[in-house]
Amino acid sequence: MKWLNNLPLKRKLTLIILIACSGALFLACGVLAGYQMFDFRRTLVRDTTVLADVVGENSRAALAFDDEDSAEEILLALKAEPDVLAAALFRPDGTQLAKYFRPGAQSEIPAKPGEDGRRFADGRLQVFRPVQLNNKRVGMLFMDLDMHGMYDQLRLFAFLSVGVLLGSFLVALGLAAPLQRSVSRPILALAETARQIAEHRDYTARAAVEDRHEIGALTRAFNNMLTQIQEQNTALMESEERFRLMVNSVGDYAIFGMDKEGRVSTWNAGAEQTLGYKASEIIGNYGSTFHTEEDIAAGKLATGLATATTTGFFRDEGWRVRKGGSRIWATITLTSVRSEDGKLRGFVNVMRDITARRQAEVAVAYERDLLTTLLDNLPDSIYFKDRASRYVRLSKSKVQKGLAFCVNRHQTENPGVALPEHLTSLENFGRHLLGKSDDEFFAPEDARTVREEEETIVSTGNPILGKVERTTLLDGKNAWTMSTKMPWRDKEGHIIGTFGTSQDVTAIKETEHRLQSQLERLGLLDKITRAIGERQDLNSIFQVVIRRLEDQLPIDFGCICLYDTADNELTVAVVGTRNESLAQSIRIIERGKIEVDENGLARCLRGHLVYEPDLAGASLAFAQRLAGGGLRSVVFAPMQVESQVFGILIAGRRAAHSFSSGECEFLKQLSEHVALAAHQTRILTALQQAYDDLRQTQQAVMQQERLRALGQMASGIAHDINNAISPVALYVESMLDSEPNLSARARDYLGTIQHAIDDVAQTVARMREFYRQREPQLALTPVKLNHICRQVLELTRARWNDMAQQRGIVVKVETDLAQDPPTILGIESEIREALVNIVFNAVDAMPEGGTLTLKTGIAGDVSKARHVSVEVIDTGSGMDEDTRRRCLEPFFTTKGERGTGLGLAMVYGIVRRHNADIEIESAPGKGTTMRLVFPEAVVSSSPQTVTPVGPLATRLRILIVDDDPLLIKSLRDILEMDGHIVIAANGGQEGIEAFRNSLQRREVISVVITDLGMPYVDGRQVAAAIKANSPSTPVILLTGWGSRLIAENDIPPHVDRVLNKPPKLRQLREALAECVSQTPPTQGPT
Amino acid sequence: MKRQPAGLSIVIWCFFSLLALDGMTCRATGESREYQIKAAFLLNFAQFIQWPANAFATPDAPFVIGVLGDDPFRAALDQTVEGETVRSRKIVLRRGRTADELKDCQMIFLGKSEEAHVREILLRLGKSPVLTVSEIRGFARRGGIIDFYPEGGKVRFEINPGAAEERGLKINSQLLSLGRIVKTEKEEN
Repeated sequence: MKWLNNLPLKRKLTLIILIACSGALFLACGVLAGYQMFDFRRTLVRDTTVLADVVGENSRAALAFDDEDSAEEILLALKAEPDVLAAALFRPDGTQLAKYFRPGAQSEIPAKPGEDGRRFADGRLQVFRPVQLNNKRVGMLFMDLDMHGMYDQLRLFAFLSVGVLLGSFLVALGLAAPLQRSVSRPILALAETARQIAEHRDYTARAAVEDRHEIGALTRAFNNMLTQIQEQNTALMESEERFRLMVNSVGDYAIFGMDKEGRVSTWNAGAEQTLGYKASEIIGNYGSTFHTEEDIAAGKLATGLATATTTGFFRDEGWRVRKGGSRIWATITLTSVRSEDGKLRGFVNVMRDITARRQAEVAVAYERDLLTTLLDNLPDSIYFKDRASRYVRLSKSKVQKGLAFCVNRHQTENPGVALPEHLTSLENFGRHLLGKSDDEFFAPEDARTVREEEETIVSTGNPILGKVERTTLLDGKNAWTMSTKMPWRDKEGHIIGTFGTSQDVTAIKETEHRLQSQLERLGLLDKITRAIGERQDLNSIFQVVIRRLEDQLPIDFGCICLYDTADNELTVAVVGTRNESLAQSIRIIERGKIEVDENGLARCLRGHLVYEPDLAGASLAFAQRLAGGGLRSVVFAPMQVESQVFGILIAGRRAAHSFSSGECEFLKQLSEHVALAAHQTRILTALQQAYDDLRQTQQAVMQQERLRALGQMASGIAHDINNAISPVALYVESMLDSEPNLSARARDYLGTIQHAIDDVAQTVARMREFYRQREPQLALTPVKLNHICRQVLELTRARWNDMAQQRGIVVKVETDLAQDPPTILGIESEIREALVNIVFNAVDAMPEGGTLTLKTGIAGDVSKARHVSVEVIDTGSGMDEDTRRRCLEPFFTTKGERGTGLGLAMVYGIVRRHNADIEIESAPGKGTTMRLVFPEAVVSSSPQTVTPVGPLATRLRILIVDDDPLLIKSLRDILEMDGHIVIAANGGQEGIEAFRNSLQRREVISVVITDLGMPYVDGRQVAAAIKANSPSTPVILLTGWGSRLIAENDIPPHVDRVLNKPPKLRQLREALAECVSQTPPTQGPT
Repeated sequence: MKRQPAGLSIVIWCFFSLLALDGMTCRATGESREYQIKAAFLLNFAQFIQWPANAFATPDAPFVIGVLGDDPFRAALDQTVEGETVRSRKIVLRRGRTADELKDCQMIFLGKSEEAHVREILLRLGKSPVLTVSEIRGFARRGGIIDFYPEGGKVRFEINPGAAEERGLKINSQLLSLGRIVKTEKEEN
């Protein structure tokens, strides 16, 4: 019936009505049908019985007399009964007497009669009926009846019944719908009202009353209930609101509920404020969210819940964790909440953040600890006194000190008497002192002073800070104390006494005193040291030391002696001047000698400070000598450097024992200082010397480095230039040598060209010399400076005359040449070059024009070695000091892009090579004078005459190997002009092949002239190849590097002779002649 | 069982009669069978025929069957009527040699031995309500009421309803429909 409960009321009612009606009808129909069935059967049975009885009655006689025919006749009468399908009569012994079958009907007659009675089967009724005669069975009748008729009737009946049922159902349905409404409508209305109330929680709604009977009563009761609920609800809501406001307004308290498992279920504003979580964030989480990791590990939540569950509540105080991890110190009360039947419902947690209170408590405890620590541990005496100067509180150290003092005094004053009670322990004494005054410790006078001070503080409120005073104790001893006394105020600011600290500073005072004298000595030491620092010679240092010592230590006698190790004696260096008479009397004078005796002085000379406190009983000679002068105490302080004593400082006083240990120490230190200073003075001198040397060396090295760089560059340039000018030199020389018909003018021009070429070659050669430490010892020749000056003016004319005029300026040139100046030794071309450079600079320095003066003169002492000077003077812009100082440095230039910075550097190089000096006088706007000063030539030798060398008589076959076609051509021209056969090869490889070819053709090459620097195969390889083929063939190396090779003695193997480029015809001829003379004459064609 | 007080003699009689019965049955089955049927017929006739009230001396007087002449039934008739009743009256068998001996019987079976005496016997019996049955041929036509005759191995009977009517006996129609109806024929002497 459950499904019925779930149906809506309307349908339920309708259904109930239908079910009721249908059920009743069905029952009626069923009963009727059953009855009908029963009735049918009963009727059938009765009819059948009757029929059987009739038949049986009729057949009694036939049976009794066993008459088959009659029996059959009787049975045949059953034809009138259509339902009878078959019939039979049996004798009492069971045999069949007669039978009857309905035509067309299918039936069987049992062979033997069955039991009396009837049997329904297969739509048939079979009846066995005994036939009796005079109460005696005479036979048995069997009848088989068809019951289809009956069933047809039953079927009809059933059909009718169903029809009736259906009809009834429809009618019931039609009636049920309107009928149920009268019941369901008010109930549904009530339900709807209830539903709306439940939904909207609007307890003001009321259901309409429709009738006065049960539903009406229900509705009214419902409405009454609503009224009550409404009132209760209002009350509840007010109460809840009040409670909520109350709980929420308690911001200090975090109040939250937890379920049985410890999960947060409710959350108030205080909780949010205290723990930081919003209700939505935290509800459902475990209360252990607020626990620290240690508490979680210890299972504090479970413990708390268990405790609260068993005892009703759990109190705790400790750290809790807020949202974000910060911690609060909180008190927690966890109360279990139980329903009325005692069942555990959950827990209420009231938490209060008392972090601030706890911090305050901790802080107070901390302060208290600090104070206690201070009072118990500080060695200073700390006390609090009331207005009457009585002790209220004392620090432990003060009690200790006081106790020690009192016990000591007691034992001194009353020896052997037992200590009074209050002196037996620190605690007792501490108690004893409370209420006592300083009279316990101090002499009456001092105690009164103290009291007066404290009265002043109490009355004025002014503290006494850091007062150091000398107090006298009760036992008469003095002590220095430093005390600070402050007014002691209560919270209202009233002075209720004094408090302060006092410190025994006796030791400090003494130390201070010692320190003072130490400082004074230090000051003296400092002064002396400073004075020493200002002096740099030993003697004045010593004098200062002695004088200061006499004046300021002070001493009565002082002297410093230097020790001579070799003679083992002391030499007096300085003697104090204060007591000259004393010094005289003991015969100690400057430069005087003192012999070293074996005791005091000797010890001092071994490095020890020797103090003779009293000379009165001294037996030693020197001591007696000092004592003779009235000195009683003397100090010998060694002066040593690197444990080597080199002198002694002697200080003496007339009073015995007059040197304190501090003074001795001072003297020792002073002597060390003096020794150091003396040593440093010596070192400084040496250092100064070394420094000067070093600076010069450094400058030279620096210059040389620059020159080396230049030289390496120049060397390459030189090689190329030498190559380039070689043909010029060869042709010019050749023309001058072999062209007799030249005009004088042409000869003159060619001569100038030759000079110029020579100068170029020299210049180039010199360029390489910049970086050479040892320049090749060039042959110095006597040079006449006046002659060179004239040449220079000629060479530079273009510059100071033509070019200057082009720019519209006038440079006036003057010469002031000395009459027949001494000859100097030098290289003419170099000196000429230097002067040309200087003249160029002078012209450049006069952009607005001016006067250029060349001047020669004799400088220096006539008696000593004479010097010849050349001056180039301009009236140009001049140089400032810095420029003047740096102008000789390579690459230093004031001409910007136009200058190389090498001109004056080269001049300097040349000058240095000639052992000459260069002097520069200049000032901005005052012009510049450059002066070269050469030493006079000591030995004047006759000038060498150059003997011209003619062409070789022998005709030679010469192989020339070079990579420069111009050079090859010029060499070929000149050598062929001399009558030689010239074979030229361009490059090393070609040269080697040409030589081999000649060998194969048996054309002997007399000489091979090869260049050194060639691509792929250079001159060295060519020489090696030729010597390999024909060792006797001389090889002449012609190179732009030539002079360097010679100078450095770096002539490559297989080379017989090295010639410079540009080659000179004369040299060529000489070389060829030399080679030929060494080798047997060739079989060349003539 | 009625003769129970006879004691040991009866037991012995029963023993011998049983032996005799058994011996007869074995000797002459066909004859015995025929008389068993005829005995049953006799009893059945009594059932289908109504006697007038004056036929019995008292209301509770027994129904007496008399066997006149030689008894062909031997024990069969006794066995047949043993325990039976006719209209609630006890049946008593009486054997006699003369009609007079059997005058107050309600039914008299005339054995074959009486064939010659039929006229006489019937006369003797007058009009008294006695059912006469015999196996004598033509007995019914000779004024008897029922006689047996064999037909096809079966025992058949003839009924003379007029004779019955004379003696005041009413014969059931069923019985009539079973037997051959005959009338009294004049005897040719």
